[in-house]
Amino acid sequence: MSRTYDILGKVGDEQAFRQEIREWLAECTPKNWRVKWQGVREEDLKSEIIAWLGERRKVGLGTPHWPKEWGGPGLPFTYQIMVYEELSRADAPELDMFTISLFHTPATLFEHGTQEQKDRYLHGITHGTDIWCQGFSEPGAGSDLASLRTSARREGDHYVLNGQKIWSSGAMNAQYCLLLARTDNSGKRKHDGISYFILDMKTPGVEVRPIRQITGESEFAEIFMDDVKVPVENLIGAEGNGWNIAQSTLSTERGLLIFGSVERLARSFELDGKDARDTWMRDVQFRREYAALYGELQSVRLMIRQLLIELEANPDKASPTLPTFIKLIWGPFLQRYTEFLLRAEGLETQKWQPAIPGTSNSSRLRFNDFLKSYGWTIAGGSNEIMRNIISERILGLPRG
Amino acid sequence: MTDEIGIGELAESFSEFLGTEWPREKAVAYARGSAVYAEDLWSQVAALGWTALTVPEAQAGLGMGLSATAALHDALGAAAAPLPMLGNTLAIALIEAAGTADQKEALLSGLADGSVRASFAHPDATILDADGSVLDGQVADMLDVASATHLFLRGTHAGKSVWIVLPTATSGVSIERTLLADASRTLGTVILSSVAISPEHLMTPEDAAALDDDLLRVAAVSLAADALGGGNATLAATVDYMKGREQFDRVIGSFQALKHRVADHKAALEAARGLVDHAASLDADAPSALLAALTAKQHVTRVVAEIARDCIQLHGGVGFTSEYVPHIYLKRAKLNEALFGTRSVVLDRIADILEAA
Ligand SMILES: Cc1cc2nc3c(=O)[nH]c(=O)nc-3n(C[C@H](O)[C@H](O)[C@H](O)COP(=O)(O)OP(=O)(O)OC[C@H]3O[C@@H](n4cnc5c(N)ncnc54)[C@H](O)[C@@H]3O)c2cc1C
Repeated sequence: MSRTYDILGKVGDEQAFRQEIREWLAECTPKNWRVKWQGVREEDLKSEIIAWLGERRKVGLGTPHWPKEWGGPGLPFTYQIMVYEELSRADAPELDMFTISLFHTPATLFEHGTQEQKDRYLHGITHGTDIWCQGFSEPGAGSDLASLRTSARREGDHYVLNGQKIWSSGAMNAQYCLLLARTDNSGKRKHDGISYFILDMKTPGVEVRPIRQITGESEFAEIFMDDVKVPVENLIGAEGNGWNIAQSTLSTERGLLIFGSVERLARSFELDGKDARDTWMRDVQFRREYAALYGELQSVRLMIRQLLIELEANPDKASPTLPTFIKLIWGPFLQRYTEFLLRAEGLETQKWQPAIPGTSNSSRLRFNDFLKSYGWTIAGGSNEIMRNIISERILGLPRG
Repeated sequence: MTDEIGIGELAESFSEFLGTEWPREKAVAYARGSAVYAEDLWSQVAALGWTALTVPEAQAGLGMGLSATAALHDALGAAAAPLPMLGNTLAIALIEAAGTADQKEALLSGLADGSVRASFAHPDATILDADGSVLDGQVADMLDVASATHLFLRGTHAGKSVWIVLPTATSGVSIERTLLADASRTLGTVILSSVAISPEHLMTPEDAAALDDDLLRVAAVSLAADALGGGNATLAATVDYMKGREQFDRVIGSFQALKHRVADHKAALEAARGLVDHAASLDADAPSALLAALTAKQHVTRVVAEIARDCIQLHGGVGFTSEYVPHIYLKRAKLNEALFGTRSVVLDRIADILEAA
């Protein structure tokens, strides 16, 4: 019989808080979930994830990083960090499919949404099972996102959308999409005239086609829009202000979202070394490489901690440059480490296995983790775009 | 003065002073001569109390910790200052841990006011037999020995590891300087022939291995900090140069191939800073203190050596001349990488610690 856990009631006593989470996780983390989740996809996987979300909600940790105003528990930062540390440490599954719902949607709506939008849509995430996706990229507009061409034409009390989105993670399962479309073609700069919409994915004229990835999975998709009617109340912010609002959406990708993945990797990094005690840790070259990679891992963890400390102290004064540095260090490090494991563990790593959802970058299926690392170096502003930002906006070098 | 704001202000005062007193031109000019250290600069910084940072307050020091040491060495690295500071940093730590009351009395105030300059044996230096009443032997590769007033040597006495402290002016001690690529520091060989010693020359730590680890920790953090300062300085000089130099009718800083390289360097230095700050912030007895220090040492000295290497290339022909600053930082970076354990040695130690955890 399960006891009741009062995790949130322990705020104020860090040790008791941590202990309570540990005990709850020890009892309530789905048993053998890695094996089970590896074998299910689509609706079955969704039910698994929703069941785990339900468990988390029972103890108030459905949306642990949300402030009270968003309908979250309003935990102080140090406690949020503890939650993510403990989830990683216990190897509890990630809420795959809900990433955009948990991070991007609230970050966007909270700052720019109307009260009605906030009430309705945030409630659908905290109390319902609304899955959101993000429709920014287009076939012709990737790094140069502002050149997007999906059009939105105002007609009375709605807009009519036409165009195509691509690489939209989770779009197959999503109810809603955070969508950028062009409402005005006459702007001086291509950044002008972009507007930000909430698209109900069930609207007639919306078609979603999954794209098969290098991992064999189909986690992202194309979205086609053919005369799709979106009511005007689904516009976020003012017409034409979409570019600015999109920056809020993207800023969320560089805080706790990375923190969770890195902490999970720190755990699997340690296990990797332990499991290799009698194999590649006895090889002087691999052993040294592992020790060197430990330094890179620590440097990423320390930068993220620094960012979290600054955010905690004053979100408005946190370093605006640190997230860019973190992104440019973390992705390549992850790629090097996962590639290192392929070399160290040899032929065994070449044997194909289905991915394990919910494991972030630490499924410990070597080839899968290696391929998945490209997500961090391409998506959300590629490494090359990060380098442009650092050299131009931080080091002050002229545009080429 | 041990809170963070204190350290930040301290760091600023270090770099402000060195920025004025030891600008790039001075570092460049110094490297063309053959002085053993920047004597005037040493007197100036000693007068400002920089040599007294970690000396206990009871001995007229400032009683600060490793974060202050790191800030100091960061600033010295940024200026490529030819000051024999590392030996003093280590000597102070050693005397505090293993010195007798008389030895503390005799040495700490001199270290604090800069009149004592220590040359400190590295972890695998020759171990001298100190059982008799005279000392014979040679110790190679003593850092900053040419400018030292005191030698801190490794020995054994009555079956125990000891440290031997000798003034360089002792009869029977001679020193041969070894020229280095890095002109901002020196190495040398100490030759001892029938040097009379007595118990007051010896320090016998209770737990010699633990003390060695702690000294290694202090050296590792200091070198990592020196490297970090140098890396930031050479990158800043290079970005400045890229903003002014024109080719093909545009400044070379507008070429994306170059911009991306310096962006990577900048990000790598930001990441490196976290490792140094963290290692410096830990108490000596924190469980991961040595691991953090060694990790900072191996990672930061390596990253900076690579950045310094690229900064010469980014300067083109002038980067190959002794008149421009990048070579100064490259040479200092390479020495930082090699001192107190080459990378392989340090990585092996890190792997040992990780395995034992
Ligand atoms: C796993 C994954 C998930 C994703 N999820 C989503 C999602 O949910 N929603 C969404 O909208 N999008 C998503 N994306 C899309 C992602 O944001 C884009 O792939 C990314 O912005 C790059 O655009 P692109 O693919 O068109 O590449 P391109 O922009 O064509 O880039 C090709 C290459 O050129 C380089 N390059 C481009 N411009 C420059 C420049 N100015 N200087 C130097 N180099 C340059 C790039 O760095 C890259 O190496 C996802 C992508 C991935 C891989």
